[in-house]
Amino acid sequence: MWIVTAWAEQILLAVIGLSGGVAVAAGLFAFIVELGVVADFADRTHTAEHIMFYEDCVALGGILGNLVYVFRISLPLGTPLLAVIGLFSGIFAGCWAMALAEILNVFPVFMRRIKIVRYVSVFVVSMALGKGLGALLFFGQRW
Amino acid sequence: MPDKTAGQKKAPSDTQIRRQDILYIKGDRDVEVSKKSVTLNDILTMECSDRQILNSIKKMRLLQIKKGGQQRYVVSVLKIISLIHERYPDVIVQNLGESDIIITYEEQKQSGKFLHIAKATFVAVVTFFGAAFSIMAFNNDVDVTRLFGQIYELVTGQETNGFTVLEISYSIGITIGILVFFNHFGKKRFTVDPTPMEVQMRLYENDIQTTLIEDSARKGEEIDVDSNGMGGTDTSGSDRT
Repeated sequence: MWIVTAWAEQILLAVIGLSGGVAVAAGLFAFIVELGVVADFADRTHTAEHIMFYEDCVALGGILGNLVYVFRISLPLGTPLLAVIGLFSGIFAGCWAMALAEILNVFPVFMRRIKIVRYVSVFVVSMALGKGLGALLFFGQRW
Repeated sequence: MPDKTAGQKKAPSDTQIRRQDILYIKGDRDVEVSKKSVTLNDILTMECSDRQILNSIKKMRLLQIKKGGQQRYVVSVLKIISLIHERYPDVIVQNLGESDIIITYEEQKQSGKFLHIAKATFVAVVTFFGAAFSIMAFNNDVDVTRLFGQIYELVTGQETNGFTVLEISYSIGITIGILVFFNHFGKKRFTVDPTPMEVQMRLYENDIQTTLIEDSARKGEEIDVDSNGMGGTDTSGSDRT
């Protein structure tokens, strides 16, 4: 009897975990793709023919990243490789944040409200600097 | 259907007046050329019952690009039609394609292969670590570890050791979810539909093309029948504020 309940518990947990995983994957990766971050990269670098390969990279990154996180796998990489990971994650997160702002029409609405037509590039640069400084402050202050 | 009825109506008059040739043209919205002399054949596909007219129209020159480097022109199909009418006033032109065509001139680069691979690698690395970072950030944000501990305790009554069936099945679920969402792994597709990123890529290109066309129309840079390359037909700004 005890064994049966133990098994039932395990199966229930497995079902919860499996459905949770599928739902999260669908949601999160739809969020990444529909914001057009990777399509943006491919267009910017004129490498649209490799789009399937990029999808594989996103899929692989998601799968392995999740494994590393959930199972606390230690990756003895050392500081230089850590810096590389940080840099690339940062680039991605930066593009993602801006893509989100773009999809929500933050810029057109804002610029129409305050009637900015020129100096849009200054605006963009200052926003990028602000994001970078903000991140630095966030980590520097250990918030 | 409408074609047939139109043809029948016209049939009796054909015998009286000279037979008119209909030229069907169809163009894509975005065309890349690598020659400086752009002919109609480079940017349009066309069909006409009169082979001779067809061949001569195909060789007609639309643009002569003077500068090197990357150049971009937006040409209204009206301009193309007027060009054809200049030489063949009697030809009826039927446009079946886009009404504005973006022509991008790019010099063929020889040493692009290495750079291309470098760029692709860069994007691959960014997307890989970006996706890994995103899923970890998400897991961290919603505190999946603690949530799993709570669920485990709720179901079994025991404390989790952090490595249970829940974590394993969640990881399998993530994998299935991602692969189903992207609809392929490597070259192997699971269904014949295009993948979400291919769809996204097309949407993105469409947006870019629409922007280019509307931009150049608004600035009066579009090569159109009444612009003559002078710029400044102010009809363009009035359609949208």
